[in-house]
Amino acid sequence: MKHPLKAILWLAVVAVTFAATPLSAQPVKAKVSAIQVEMIHSDEIKLPAEFQISLYENLVRQLEKQGGFEHVYRDGDRRAKDAADLVVLHSTVRGFKAGSERTRRVTTVAGATSITIHCEFKNADGKVLLEKDVNGKVRFFGGNLRATYDFAKKTARVAHDNFSSSEHKS
Amino acid sequence: MKRRKFLVSIAMTMAFAGLAVCGAKAQQSAKPANNAIALTGLPGVKDNAKGTLTVESGKLHFSYGKKSSEVNAASIEDVVTGEDTQAAVGKTVSNLSMVAPYGSGRFLALFRTKFDTLTLRYRDENGALHGVIFALPASGAEPIKKDLLAQGAHATVSEQQAAAAPANSSSKEPKQ
Repeated sequence: MKHPLKAILWLAVVAVTFAATPLSAQPVKAKVSAIQVEMIHSDEIKLPAEFQISLYENLVRQLEKQGGFEHVYRDGDRRAKDAADLVVLHSTVRGFKAGSERTRRVTTVAGATSITIHCEFKNADGKVLLEKDVNGKVRFFGGNLRATYDFAKKTARVAHDNFSSSEHKS
Repeated sequence: MKRRKFLVSIAMTMAFAGLAVCGAKAQQSAKPANNAIALTGLPGVKDNAKGTLTVESGKLHFSYGKKSSEVNAASIEDVVTGEDTQAAVGKTVSNLSMVAPYGSGRFLALFRTKFDTLTLRYRDENGALHGVIFALPASGAEPIKKDLLAQGAHATVSEQQAAAAPANSSSKEPKQ
């Protein structure tokens, strides 16, 4: 009778320890004051021009809105050279399925548009600080370009969760 | 007397017809205003703003309401035209129709109208890259592209290449 009790007690201690681990080991945000967004690369997968531009523009907009950076620079912006703690976002299209708004409206289960993009956040020296595949989807309502908005929102969230500027309080 | 009335009426009809023909010719000779929707990316312009698009004096002008926005043709690195479709019925009516019984509302989704897209890439005075997408009535994008190219804009894909390219570009399905 004594041993089962002891085992249960040990189990409880182990369970509490594991449950508490995520709280104590929250990722430390890297200090970054500015981000430069490079144009989306789609060398392997042919992406319609309007998708590529929409991805880029939405990404810049969402990073300005909710990324938490002091400055968001566009591809080729000369002012980025003078920025301290700059991170550069490289995005490469890994998967793209052009769905159909008509099919979505008629069937509601088919015709989803989805896009998968590999995002790399690099510092000024080119060292990869973070890399992640991000999906953008439009399932039910809305035009195909809405998938680019979904991707941009998710990527801005990833940036917000992993980087912080000195002024930004998360 | 009757004959005179008859001749006067014929003369008046011909005069009206002549005026109408002149008016029509005058309309044809004037450069048509291209109705367009700035879908995204134009600085200082809200997404989906409706206006008119013109190419004049080396610049692309988008006029909406009482405001206007312009892009230097020489700063444009790429101009791409495309084609898309949109619901023929209004968005609100279309959404409301989805709840119609026996899926009858979904029938409306089959009716769609074609439109052209005009996608631009250009750099501002700091070298920063911008992208703009316009929606225009069907076959309205190509004349604008030609005007832009004539006034110093660049395009990576020529018309011949575009025609040679497969109609539907292959795409990979992401595994999820």
